[in-house]
Amino acid sequence: MTATYRPVEPIWCAGCGHFGVEAALAGALADLVIPKHETLVLAGIGCSGTIQNNLGAYGYHALHGRVLPTAAGAWEANPDLTVIAAGGDGDGYAIGMGHLIHTFRRNPSFTYIVMNNGIYGLTKGQNSPTRQGTATIDAILLGLSVLETTFIARGFTRAPDQLRRLTTAALTHAREGRGFAFLEVLSPCVTYNDTYPVWEAEQLDLDADDGYDPTDRSAAFTRVVDLQSQNRIPIGLIYRDPAAESRSFVNPAASSIEPASHVESYMDVMSRYRI
Amino acid sequence: MTAVLSDVNAMVAGQGGDGSLTVITLLGNVLARRGFHLYSTRNVASRIKGGPAAALLRGSSEPRSGMGDDVDIFVAFDDEAIETVGSRVAPGGFVVYDSSAGPLPSGFLPEETTVIEIPFGRFAVRDLRRELFKNSLAFGVISRILSFADAEAAAVLEERFAARPELVARNLQALREGFAFADEHGFAENAGPIRLTDTPSEDRILISGNHAAAFGFLVAGVRFFAGYPITPATEVLEFMTRHIGTYGGAAIQAEDELAAVNMALGASLTGVRSLVATSGPGISLMQEGIGHAGAAELPLVVIDAQRSGPSTGMPTKSEQSDIGMLVHGGNGDFPRIVLAPGDPSQAFDLAVAATNLAQWIQGPVYLMLDQALSQDSVTVPLFDVTGVEIDAGLRLTQRQLDTLDEYRRYAITEDGLSPLAVPGMPGGMSLVTGNEHDEWGRVSTDPGNRAAMMDKRARKIDAVKDDLPKGLRFGDETGPVGILGVGMESGVMREAVERLAVDGISLAGLQPRTIWPVLDETLAFIASRERVYVVEHNHEGQLAQILASIGEANGSVRSILKYDGVPFTPGELIDRIVLEEST
Ligand SMILES: Cc1ncc(C[n+]2csc(CCOP(=O)(O)OP(=O)(O)O)c2C)c(N)n1
Ligand code: SF4
Ligand SMILES: [Mg+2]
Repeated sequence: MTATYRPVEPIWCAGCGHFGVEAALAGALADLVIPKHETLVLAGIGCSGTIQNNLGAYGYHALHGRVLPTAAGAWEANPDLTVIAAGGDGDGYAIGMGHLIHTFRRNPSFTYIVMNNGIYGLTKGQNSPTRQGTATIDAILLGLSVLETTFIARGFTRAPDQLRRLTTAALTHAREGRGFAFLEVLSPCVTYNDTYPVWEAEQLDLDADDGYDPTDRSAAFTRVVDLQSQNRIPIGLIYRDPAAESRSFVNPAASSIEPASHVESYMDVMSRYRI
Repeated sequence: MTAVLSDVNAMVAGQGGDGSLTVITLLGNVLARRGFHLYSTRNVASRIKGGPAAALLRGSSEPRSGMGDDVDIFVAFDDEAIETVGSRVAPGGFVVYDSSAGPLPSGFLPEETTVIEIPFGRFAVRDLRRELFKNSLAFGVISRILSFADAEAAAVLEERFAARPELVARNLQALREGFAFADEHGFAENAGPIRLTDTPSEDRILISGNHAAAFGFLVAGVRFFAGYPITPATEVLEFMTRHIGTYGGAAIQAEDELAAVNMALGASLTGVRSLVATSGPGISLMQEGIGHAGAAELPLVVIDAQRSGPSTGMPTKSEQSDIGMLVHGGNGDFPRIVLAPGDPSQAFDLAVAATNLAQWIQGPVYLMLDQALSQDSVTVPLFDVTGVEIDAGLRLTQRQLDTLDEYRRYAITEDGLSPLAVPGMPGGMSLVTGNEHDEWGRVSTDPGNRAAMMDKRARKIDAVKDDLPKGLRFGDETGPVGILGVGMESGVMREAVERLAVDGISLAGLQPRTIWPVLDETLAFIASRERVYVVEHNHEGQLAQILASIGEANGSVRSILKYDGVPFTPGELIDRIVLEEST
């Protein structure tokens, strides 16, 4: 077997939430027995954007804010891969926010994990669009408002078992061809914005609420809005479209590009221009 | 008296809704059947329906990549058409004027023009499809002016409406009305004031640069396209959306150009040949992504259909003012290639070359077009589809990968090229990043590694230098004075040089097909001449600046510039050269 790169040691500060995200992702990949060579982890720019270096799979470091279109292109070109996009809240909700809405809308079948810590860790602590106490965006409500959305969950690094379960569920949803799996993780930055105490107090586990139906979009929307007004942060499986069917996709990476196999068809195209 | 022409220019103008193209299409069909080469262009003042529009056609026994100096025949569907473009009519030319729009405005046409006034509006009430009817009638008149046989004209009309038989009878009737008007002016069948030379016909296609390039990319194995609509590049998006699925590929209309270029990078990462197409504003937005292709070593082909800038500029007008951005744009130093075709045949060939070169250098390759080249249609011989070779560069097969003890994505090699394994291949796992990295793709700021990686990437261009498309020469090879230009200047330069030679002024011509890196042959062409005129459509002489900054004899580069959005006619270019030569 050919030897390749040795996974890199995480560069994160001790106690950083991102360790928990990596552990959950590595665990889910192992649980689902996905071979490393079929796994493509693309990450944005930020402390979060180094996760791909640590897993031993195919890794890609996207431009800041562009992890979603890059992942979309990779998945379109080879939907047989398990494509996982990951990045920070600055990467996904500030510079890259435009792409998130359109990815919900297109509903490609890959997973996106946002490591939300309310700040820009790598550039040393500036506010992100989710910084509590400032005017904020809730990507979960945003996703719920797009009709094509099929999977939304939120995890918390303080609830590692649930986080691993949610990660596995997201990967499974995408791998089965049911659509875009969006997982936001509350992943505190202990150095610049230690939200562990606040988020522990404010989190509310919808998975533990028997009365909550994650297949009911409008109920989910109402519930999240209500909780927001009570300063509570829902975690768990927020929404899964019960009608999202398992689909299969054409794989351009496996298409024939030898001209000899298409000569007749190419000549047909050219004939349309004959004069 | 009958003029015998081997080169005829026609123009039809009216409000955008007049379907001016129909007369031009019909005329083109007759000329093509007679073996004439065609060049056709549109001059659209407004992009929405309505507003003045003109369609122009040149038919010539020699292939030409541009319009002639003036038009021999002008169909003007209203007075505004006379006022705006009437001055383009050749002395002794013919004008068919729709007099229902009002009396012929005076003072806009040359004195010796023959005007045939027809009240087209008189027929409007009798026919629901007035536009088509007008076109067929006008076509009848110009067929007689050009001494076509009536049956010849009728045949192309029938062919045109073959799919809509209900329209044939009425349009034939309109055509005959046109013949009748011509009779009134004494233009009998086969005996008009203009006669065309006999030209042998051959199998040709009529295609624009955008379509030719898009088709070339398809045949070269491009199976992923992402774009965002922008004039004058949109036809590439439309072509790919229509055709790529047939071959198992994907075309995506992205939310913006930032998404488009990054989607293409993602697709390229998986080993799929990927293309984006845009124009200046989109190229500006893509700069970060194109630099990423350079740093992360991902094959990427970018079409730039240039339009007039800066900023939004004149979206429908041609310019060559992105050259500096293509050659130097983006942050940091990274290797890139810029290819520039001069006509649709070259666009097809260079699309293939660009695709293969991108695989070799694992980096960005631009195919530089301009609006005129992108959107004007030209007759060219059929493309050699079977002659296209797919070159995978250093892409590893699984079998090759399995024989390696270890795989380093960015292996530093003598020629800078690193063997490539893609996701899905066991044993080929790698880290791909635009951060500086070591051979494994791990982020590194080690000074020694940094310098070695910069050098490695730069070496890739030397490795493919011999495969870069060479320039095309024309004119007097040995002449001490040279002329050089690319894209939309290619055809008009040749024609100007031919005509100047007749007057005893000889010029050596070069149309480089590789702009970046600047080839040695280009530098030698300049260095061995007393002076070289670099013809380009921009204000700053961007190509001249690049050549002068690299060549040795930089004093000999002189600019001939135009930046009004309108291509040179051969006569205009000749005047500019003569002026330069006399000062
Ligand atoms: C175009 C561009 N602008 C700015 C930056 C600088 N930058 C690097 S990371 C970052 C923010 C990272 O924040 P986030 O995505 O939340 O990740 P975290 O570090 O918090 O995990 C910024 C602004 C950049 N790399 N590229
Ligand atoms: S700065 Fe914050 S986000 Fe970055 S590694 Fe340290 S704790 Fe994590
Ligand atoms: Mg952050």
